[in-house]
Amino acid sequence: MAAGYAWFLVLGSVFLCNLMKTFLSTLSSLLSKMIQKDAEQEMEMRTEIQGMKMEQSSISMMDEFAKYARLERKINKTTDKLKTHVKSRTAQQAKVKWVVNIIFYIAQAALMVSLIWKYYSDPVTVVPSRWIAPVERLVAFPTGVPGGVGITCWLVVCNKVVTLGFNVFNQRSQP
Amino acid sequence: MDTGGDTSEEATGSSMSAAQRRAEMRRRKLLLNSEDRLNRIVGFAKNGSDNNGASRRPAEPRFHLDLDRTEPWSPSSSSQRPSPFLPESSALSSLSHTATPERRGSPLPDCSEPAAAAVEDDVGALRQRLKGERAPSDNISGSPRRGLQNYLSRFDDAMKLRGQLASEKPTQDGGVETEEFDPFRVFRLVGSILLAVFVRIFVCKYLSIFAPFLTLELAYMGLSKYFPKVEKKTKTTVLTAALLLSGIPAEVINRSMDTYRRMGDVFSDLCLYFFTFVLCHELLLLCGSETP
Repeated sequence: MAAGYAWFLVLGSVFLCNLMKTFLSTLSSLLSKMIQKDAEQEMEMRTEIQGMKMEQSSISMMDEFAKYARLERKINKTTDKLKTHVKSRTAQQAKVKWVVNIIFYIAQAALMVSLIWKYYSDPVTVVPSRWIAPVERLVAFPTGVPGGVGITCWLVVCNKVVTLGFNVFNQRSQP
Repeated sequence: MDTGGDTSEEATGSSMSAAQRRAEMRRRKLLLNSEDRLNRIVGFAKNGSDNNGASRRPAEPRFHLDLDRTEPWSPSSSSQRPSPFLPESSALSSLSHTATPERRGSPLPDCSEPAAAAVEDDVGALRQRLKGERAPSDNISGSPRRGLQNYLSRFDDAMKLRGQLASEKPTQDGGVETEEFDPFRVFRLVGSILLAVFVRIFVCKYLSIFAPFLTLELAYMGLSKYFPKVEKKTKTTVLTAALLLSGIPAEVINRSMDTYRRMGDVFSDLCLYFFTFVLCHELLLLCGSETP
């Protein structure tokens, strides 16, 4: 027969999975910041470029063309270096995000499969079968217990309800 | 010896002129050939084709990317749409801006932009040529020209859809997609919750719980017209773009998506109703106030 709080366990698991999904992007950006070691170098390059541009703006091109041109070349060289750096950082971020997503989806799939395996023959809850007529067989799938609510039906229902709840919450939290 | 020298000089002169003549002929042949080739592409026959009267418009329905259109689609209306060739230059320039919005802010040198711009320029030049050559339309043959026009219009639509997809991609990548809750949707959800509680407390002993739910959904169908209708922005996804390009009219796609959305709403109501019912049932069992 159904365990007392099986329905709550399934609901909690679905809730947890959806909550993790919401924070996936934050988690991946945090991880990429931790892995990335040369973030200061990028800041230094940006500061350097900014300083050089300010210096260049104070030089008159007509009067000190050589110095102006030399500064321009330095700015271009540093800008190219910065672009390469940004490109590699972006690629690394994308890779980390991809890995985090893959791990999450594997974990989620494993959790769902384990729940289905555990409650394959036990319904998560039981109600009188006449209450859920005429679809009692569909609702009870795969347990076959009359009046029982099967794990698959309950997973679908919980998933939908939790998603709705998160959407309402997100909509209210947005300005 | 002198006569031999003279003869050789004459032979050289004649061979030069023959070479020059051959070069000239080759050049003319190439020029003529290119024109012939282009004429064959646009449908001009070499010997003069049949005179078909006024230039024919394409009979196939055109794509239209206005997914918010609500008037019924008909082939006659498609032929009355403005010609795709009219605002070519402005459309192409706008296309070249919208088609590659993701490249505008890129720090990287845009090597592919000149290629795409060149392709679009060629298409535009071809369109201009078609437009200019359409006026003396006596010698135009119908089907190759129509085929080219269809190809160009599909290419145009594909570029526009690509631009729309690219512009909508950053919003989708920005996080979890949230559905919009208009007042009627909120009313439906709240109604489902309240009905589930009511049914669990008073009704479930007498009949199936799905009967009141079906009644509620029928009531919602009647009540929907009393709520302000919120126009939902149709998102261009890869699926809708593929369906559009495959020839399915946008109106059909709109109606299918509308039906699918309504089915989704009913499913959401059902899930929330059943969830609330089970939750109430478990809470009542926990409290021990009622035995089924």
